[in-house]
Amino acid sequence: MNEGTSPRRVAARAMLGALAPDRITFTLSALLLLIFLVLPVAAILVKVARATAPLDALGSSVVTEALRLSLVTSSISAAVAAVLGTPVAFLLARYRFPGRAVVDSLVDLPMVLPPAVAGLGLLMAFGRRGILGGALDVLGLELAFTTAAVVMAQTFVAAPFYIRSAKAGFEGVDRELERVSATLGSSRLRTFFRVTVPLAGPALMGGAVMAWARALGEFGATIMFAGNTIGRTQTMPLAIYIAFQNDLTASLVLAGILVVVSFAVLFTFKALLGRSPLGAAHA
Amino acid sequence: MLDVRMRRRLDGFELDVAFQADEGRVVLFGPSGAGKSLTLQAITGVMRPDAGRVEVNGRLLFDGASGLNLPPQERRMGYVPQSYALFPHLTVQQNVAYGIQRLDAARRRALVQDMVELAGLQGLERRRPRELSGGQQQRVALARALASRPELLVLDEPFSNIDTGLRGTLRRELLDLQARSGITTLVVTHDLDDAFFLGSRIVVIDRGRVLQAGSREDIFYRPATRRVAEFVGTRNILRATVVESNSQRLLLDWQGRPLEADPLPLSQGQEVEICIRPTQVMIVRPDRLPHLPPPENPFCGTVVQEALQAEAYVLRFRLADSTAPYDLEIELPDYVYLRLGLDRKKDATISIHRSAMHVIPVAEVAGARCCPG
Repeated sequence: MNEGTSPRRVAARAMLGALAPDRITFTLSALLLLIFLVLPVAAILVKVARATAPLDALGSSVVTEALRLSLVTSSISAAVAAVLGTPVAFLLARYRFPGRAVVDSLVDLPMVLPPAVAGLGLLMAFGRRGILGGALDVLGLELAFTTAAVVMAQTFVAAPFYIRSAKAGFEGVDRELERVSATLGSSRLRTFFRVTVPLAGPALMGGAVMAWARALGEFGATIMFAGNTIGRTQTMPLAIYIAFQNDLTASLVLAGILVVVSFAVLFTFKALLGRSPLGAAHA
Repeated sequence: MLDVRMRRRLDGFELDVAFQADEGRVVLFGPSGAGKSLTLQAITGVMRPDAGRVEVNGRLLFDGASGLNLPPQERRMGYVPQSYALFPHLTVQQNVAYGIQRLDAARRRALVQDMVELAGLQGLERRRPRELSGGQQQRVALARALASRPELLVLDEPFSNIDTGLRGTLRRELLDLQARSGITTLVVTHDLDDAFFLGSRIVVIDRGRVLQAGSREDIFYRPATRRVAEFVGTRNILRATVVESNSQRLLLDWQGRPLEADPLPLSQGQEVEICIRPTQVMIVRPDRLPHLPPPENPFCGTVVQEALQAEAYVLRFRLADSTAPYDLEIELPDYVYLRLGLDRKKDATISIHRSAMHVIPVAEVAGARCCPG
């Protein structure tokens, strides 16, 4: 083994490479942003750790109810977004139809609207005095200020995240694979479930996780359209906001729980994706 | 049995092809953009022609008149695309089994095993496509296509993703696999070597039209038009005039030089093109024994340029009385080149055998004769 390729030499060169000026610049600026992103989250955890008797807050039914409601509603919202969003994403990815650009922009609209506008809109559409309020009333349905309203508010703001990701996923599937599947005797539906969905899988899963995360954090639309009833419509973000006004420790504990749960889900997802046969390219 | 007739109009391109073929291997040969892939799409059912009829082994797949157009999944085609399109999320075994899900588990397993053996994929069953070499991927795609016993095996540019050095081996493998499966095979290629090696019958396509369809020998040695001759690598295409035509011979005038060809019913004064493959031009040995019959159509001249390609020399030869840069291209094995002493002496006498000449009347170059049906 000669000097130039000995492992130690290679390692030394790699370290020198890592210290090249452009790398230093990039690394420093990346660190700066990372610190900015991590510091508030870390601050919450530090404050929780320093609080006196933080676990007392956990005992209160307000916290457990809010956590339960948040996990249940955000999961339902993500599922609804996935089930109803998949056909939309597929149509947008695969077909050229009149008004496609309009549909595409409409789908993105909730992402840029302030959640307060979303809440107001939902209220004006489905509230008792909303344009569908009368019809819903006849059916004996009252949506506003119920748990269903929480799910609706969350789905409204979260669905675009799923559709974006799923659309990109479908666009990334090689059409030739679908053609081959057809020549091998598979119907369109079978091709969709056996080829298209598995191949777009990482993007679909990623979209669902992002939609779930967005639903979990939903605040503005929920408080306007669903209100703030403990056990029925008071999700974690609402509980945190309410607690913040009279009990900082409880607010911190709730926030800490939300941080830990969110991070655990995102991290687990990335780890699983990295191990899947197709994931490496998407993770 | 393959019977294809179809028309399809696209932006700035019109496909209008017709050809038939019996069992064996059919090659659709032509340059890129000729309409080969489009033809193939119409056969596999991915593209719907405007009009026409597609029939495979007596089964009608498309009929413009009655509006019949079977979807791809009902056509029983073994389609192997240029990219092979293996399912990346499935193992080799699962890829091969993809088209035979309707069989019960035991029969499916047995058939997959058969196909794995037929394609020489033993030991790779649990690999995923990205862990395979290009040649292995191609074999998986073939095994997958053959597993469902298709009526027709359809290969699109099968070797374009394979290193040149490996192509020879893979061509032989494909030939062998096709022979053992006995399934009629349609190959689309723009590669002359592929076409020559794989096609028992060749359909030459250019600009959306069939220029000629025939046996491999017909296409290579008896091209119907100058254009086909050019496509199949006939690098010597000489323009001449008929001087005399009788039952014994055809006497031609090639820029003032007499040239004798096999008899053809042509009239005096007719313009013709003479196709001569570079390997068919002989160089007369300087020590040729005097009692041998004189060489046919002898010409004196000089080698003006030469290039060694693998184990063959490609020579450009100028006739003694010529003012052109060169008149003929000659290809010969390197050992013949050396034995003839061409490395030392560039002057030589060549001979063009009557049997080496394929004569096409110029009036028919427009190409009405070539399209069957």
